Amino acid sequence: MEGILKRIAEKFRDYRVPGYYKKFDYRWTMVVDLDMCNGCGACVVACRAENNSATVGKEECRKGRALNWIRIERYVEGEYPDIKVKFIPIMCQNCSSAPCEIGCPVYATYHNQDGLNVQVYNRCVGTFTCATYCPYDVRRFNWFTYKWDKPLDEQLNPDLTVREMGVMEKCTFCIQRIRVAKDRAKDEKREIKDGEVKPACVQTCPTGALVFGDLNDPESSVSRMARNPRRYRLLEELNTDPSVIYLKRVMAEGPSEREG
Amino acid sequence: MEEKKNNKFTYREVNEDVINFMTKTGPLYYIILAVMGVSAVTLFFLPWLYQVYVGQGVTGLNVPVLWGVYLVNFVFWVGIAHAGTLISAMLYITKTPWRRAVARGAETMTLFAIVLVGLFVFTHMGRPWNLYWTIPYPNHRRLWTSFQSPLTFDVFAISTYLTSSAIFLYFGMIPDLASLKHHATGWRKHLYSILSLGWRGTDRQWHVQGRATMFFSSFVLPLVVSVHSIVAWDFALSIVPGYSKTIFAPYFVTGALLSGFAGVVIMLSVLRWACPVFKKYITEMHYDRMGLVMLFISLVWSYLTAMEVITGLYADNTFEWEHIKYKILSTPSMQLFILMIFSNTLLPLVLMVKKVRNCAVSMFAVSLFVLIGMWLERYLIVPNALSRKFLPWMWRDYCPSWVEVSITAGAVLFFATMFMASIKIFPVISIFEVKEDAGIPMEKEGH
Amino acid sequence: MRTTVLGLFKYVDRLLSASEKLKGEGFSVTIISPVPLVHEIEHIEGEKKSLLRYFTLFGGVLGFLFGTVLALGTSALYVMPRGGRPIFAATPTLIISYESTILFGVIMTLLGFFAIAGLPYFEGMPHFKGEAQCPEAEIDSFGLIIEDAGGDKWRYIEGVLKECGASEVRKLED
Repeated sequence: MEGILKRIAEKFRDYRVPGYYKKFDYRWTMVVDLDMCNGCGACVVACRAENNSATVGKEECRKGRALNWIRIERYVEGEYPDIKVKFIPIMCQNCSSAPCEIGCPVYATYHNQDGLNVQVYNRCVGTFTCATYCPYDVRRFNWFTYKWDKPLDEQLNPDLTVREMGVMEKCTFCIQRIRVAKDRAKDEKREIKDGEVKPACVQTCPTGALVFGDLNDPESSVSRMARNPRRYRLLEELNTDPSVIYLKRVMAEGPSEREG
Repeated sequence: MEEKKNNKFTYREVNEDVINFMTKTGPLYYIILAVMGVSAVTLFFLPWLYQVYVGQGVTGLNVPVLWGVYLVNFVFWVGIAHAGTLISAMLYITKTPWRRAVARGAETMTLFAIVLVGLFVFTHMGRPWNLYWTIPYPNHRRLWTSFQSPLTFDVFAISTYLTSSAIFLYFGMIPDLASLKHHATGWRKHLYSILSLGWRGTDRQWHVQGRATMFFSSFVLPLVVSVHSIVAWDFALSIVPGYSKTIFAPYFVTGALLSGFAGVVIMLSVLRWACPVFKKYITEMHYDRMGLVMLFISLVWSYLTAMEVITGLYADNTFEWEHIKYKILSTPSMQLFILMIFSNTLLPLVLMVKKVRNCAVSMFAVSLFVLIGMWLERYLIVPNALSRKFLPWMWRDYCPSWVEVSITAGAVLFFATMFMASIKIFPVISIFEVKEDAGIPMEKEGH
Repeated sequence: MRTTVLGLFKYVDRLLSASEKLKGEGFSVTIISPVPLVHEIEHIEGEKKSLLRYFTLFGGVLGFLFGTVLALGTSALYVMPRGGRPIFAATPTLIISYESTILFGVIMTLLGFFAIAGLPYFEGMPHFKGEAQCPEAEIDSFGLIIEDAGGDKWRYIEGVLKECGASEVRKLED
């Protein structure tokens, strides 16, 4: 009894203060250089292939229920006729103060030791709260029991599960790859090296617009890029503390509120 | 201030009226009950089974509008559930005499409304067969529930409310069942004898009964407020524009009371229609008081509605602007908004006229509009705010599918079926309280 | 052999004066009525306190502790960071405790009511005394039960009841 109380008191000291997760081993972060993104959509395809995303069929896709964990949004800069179409890939921002996490009653989404916002499919009961609270609308729901079109059913990734009807899913920063790298690093008794882990989208990006790494390591490439004056984070003013950092050169003309 | 006593009936008459209403049922009642029951199953349970089997995809939900009509109904029925407890509890504490005849019916309504609330939690979920995961209990998976989630607050609030209102309803019924067992025959006699637990009505029993009612009332009253505040926090604890508003807790509570009182008026009208004898107990005076309460709550509601919009405008926040523009100026919402203002603010103003308040038909009509308006209020908050979240790329309109519409309609019928069946089994008029209403017989006037 | 006298009254003030008189002479008197006469009895005898409040208080305190321990304890057993919020958070704990205070309070009040009112009260139960059954007193009459009225007491009690205006006096023996 005393032991339990002692343990609780110890945990209380450690976890009472918000922001304790900064003490965690890693803080996985993705940097997206928007000036290098050409909107080719390779990341979307790679993500689908890696993460066993189901194909929902034409009709559902038209409704916008495609299970894309990363999406490429377009926007236009400048005044006609002098305009430029720009792209911004949006995936789960793995917020440190994630609004989705407090919404879930069953701990299906929580924060893990690597600073990742994790979704546990088996625990999900489908209350939709996480996706409702999410300001980035990156969560996708399995509306039906989906079948994979041939021959896609023969290329499922064995490293992660498929999701059943009624659960929420989202980008995990390819947690299965992080897992493998951590295991390997543990076997070799070392930390994960910078650039050792690459989510599918980062691996596939032809222009190198996506970079992935550990923000806790001050020498990693993401840490160096995070100090770039072009940096901003999506909807940072909402205090969600996202783990995805966007780099963007601000155009000379026109006001911009998000200059870093 | 003691109201004028209602002396138009004797004690024995009350018992006889209540038992006659329960045992002597015309074929019309059974036909209506059967038709409603069958339609409730067809409209509510069959589409729901279909949805459980096929998936939530049969609804009109889509990212980002993931809280649709089911949650609108959830909030709506929590609201309906509120008036019952308020009438029983608050009016008991304040010793308002006119509660006595209507309290039992309102409590019965409360119980069935909460049953529907539970059903709508089920229909809303992606994997309803896992609902028990939201309940904290020691299990082999060593999993607990997240006590920071507003949905867990909901689980606690709704289950507490269900338990408390069921206890309150049954507790108040014990003396009546004891009284009725002397009139009833057959299975009713057995049922009432068992359920009345051998109540004899001794001075000691009545004394503790009165104390217990007072304690129940004092518990249930803060519970009413907290339950709907917690329902409001489901929305207000998010960061979504149109949801994240500090005004939501009082706003939702007020709205709940408005719709709840309207629901009680409709219930009383149905009761008076089903059993004209009850007009002795549920009189024009009751309509009059209910109308005054509704008028008052409607004015408070209107103020809060105005504040909800105005504080949003004053904040001058881009996201809030988009939300309000969508809510008030875009095509389907604008018409709904106007209808809501008409039925919740403008129409209840006619209740200022005493003639309107005393007329069963006009009260019924106003209440029906209020119920529609209150449903629209929730509709304009729940799915509507999600249509305009932060990133314009994910703005999407929402339209309920036939499954959602059918389940919504079926729920109303299911509620009516449960209510109409239950009032034939359990006394819907609180016998001992109505007798109190008639006055304690004294040889000499006053004491 | 126990003898019980049952007097039925139509008027409450009559009943109360009979009850007062007999109580003053040391008889054990029980009033049974179809409506609560709490107010009327307290008007004569002064306010009575009920043990029920201890049940309610106990339930409330127990509920509050239950809610607090549940919310904080399960967080301690199962440390899961969520949304950057503290693991041991005050506000949600208070909300849970608030609800469980009410839940336990209501349940304990009901149990206390059963205990004090002696319910359920069926034949064959240890505390079932087989008192006089009086259906009228559950509908529209007010009954006065006087226990231990054997022998010559019965005549006297009948006289008092009749004098006070009882509409009917019954002698019950078992």
